[in-house]
Amino acid sequence: MSLSNHERGSEVKSSGRFNFSGLALFAALLLLWEFSSRFTPAIQPYFPPASRVIHSLFQPSLARELFGHLLDTLGRFLGGYFLAAAMAVSLGIILGYFRFAYSLLEVVIELLRPMPSVAIIPVAILLLGIGNSMMVAVTVYACAWPILINTIDGVRNIDRTLIDTGRTFGLGRWKILRRIALPAAAPYIVTGLRISLSIALILVTTSEMVVGGSGLGFFILDEERSLHTSNMYAGIVVVALLGYALNRLFIAVETKAMAWHRGLTARGML
Amino acid sequence: MSILDVEGLSKSYRQAGGESTLAIENISFQVNEGEFVSLVGPSGCGKTTLLMCMAGLIAPSAGRVVVKAAEVDGPPRNLVLVFQEYNKSLFAWRTVLGNVLFGLEVKGKPAREAEEKASYLIGLVGLDGFERHYPWELSGGMQQRVAIARALAYEPEVLLMDEPFGSVDAMTRLELEDGLLRLWKELGTTILFVTHDIEEAIYLSDRIYVLGRRPSRVIQAVEVRLGRPRNQLTTRADASFMELRNEIYKQTAPRLSSGW
Repeated sequence: MSLSNHERGSEVKSSGRFNFSGLALFAALLLLWEFSSRFTPAIQPYFPPASRVIHSLFQPSLARELFGHLLDTLGRFLGGYFLAAAMAVSLGIILGYFRFAYSLLEVVIELLRPMPSVAIIPVAILLLGIGNSMMVAVTVYACAWPILINTIDGVRNIDRTLIDTGRTFGLGRWKILRRIALPAAAPYIVTGLRISLSIALILVTTSEMVVGGSGLGFFILDEERSLHTSNMYAGIVVVALLGYALNRLFIAVETKAMAWHRGLTARGML
Repeated sequence: MSILDVEGLSKSYRQAGGESTLAIENISFQVNEGEFVSLVGPSGCGKTTLLMCMAGLIAPSAGRVVVKAAEVDGPPRNLVLVFQEYNKSLFAWRTVLGNVLFGLEVKGKPAREAEEKASYLIGLVGLDGFERHYPWELSGGMQQRVAIARALAYEPEVLLMDEPFGSVDAMTRLELEDGLLRLWKELGTTILFVTHDIEEAIYLSDRIYVLGRRPSRVIQAVEVRLGRPRNQLTTRADASFMELRNEIYKQTAPRLSSGW
């Protein structure tokens, strides 16, 4: 098994310690935002000071409204992400293992994959209307690609000896897929899952902006159109925090589940 | 009584150009129940091909393998293969205990019984205290012991070993040889051991089949009448050990005395 470069490069390691200089820069940027807006009143309607955005975040009525939208967005995110993960991992393992299955689907995959996923939003609206099922469907579609491609890659990189080990212990094909191919490809699958995490949030908010009704994407665009710009920025802050929280959660789960793999790569044994 | 019969086994491979090459040709030999038998032959003589056919992992072009009166047409239930490349064969995502348990899980052993048996086998290969370690935390020799314990957990009647000690250093190799002989004596499993190391084959075996160059056939069957238990120092210094060694060297490398 060997690691492709993108997998090693995709994880920016945090030092794990309190990052003073990084936080200082963040504070400086906040201050820059605050004062550049304060000293140029002409742009304040489009670019309100940070303090005003933070202030509106803590307005009880707005906070309650935002929380409702957050739950809607989160629900669509979780539905789309987990559905995509289940489907893409299962399909990817089969396509990675059975050569004929891959040849069959290769052309379709290579044609659809490079297409920007948002381009199917109109199609989804036509077929599914403007409800949750449409937004989840679009998210599933977009998230599935990185997971699918990485899973296929992972299974194809499994050493023949590992598969033969399963066979000599009397495992049939399907058991080999589940008990050997799946865990052996896990490092690749996790890479796909990590990439899809941010894609899922992009697709959920974008489709919310397009079809409206509810969700953080809808809220951001709606407040912009009503010229409530500090509310709009408050919505952006919430969606940013949601993305941050999901990423931290992902890393926490990955650290626990993939401990065996980190040790392996640290020793250079792959 | 014979437990393993190889009858007229040949295997040819189709090459890129379309022509086929013969890896092994008309190989026949047998292994009796409880015996320790080695196959020796020069590197690249098709030993691995032969083992893969015996383990039911690839189909032979001609001939057949019979294990316990049943013809092999897929991996047999009562036989397991230990690979040379233990680092590729062990499950990196499972601990030592998890790897050994695998051999019992696939047989559907109840969890409690499996755990006891696994601990017993881990002790038998001298890895007590390493149950919770991952393979990458162990040395090469220890990893191969995990692979052996995992294979034994499957309770095979025949254990096939493909140059299992080929990737470890010389000192570790001697320890592994003695460890394997102790296991064999304790469990009574029939072992077919493949190596290119003639002295290793003599040291371990009751009988040796010597294979020639590609396409290989059995060119000699040698009975090893050295006493047991064997000892790395005294057995290897024994006059009959030397005699066997010279005899086999003469067969496999007739030009050895004249140089190249």
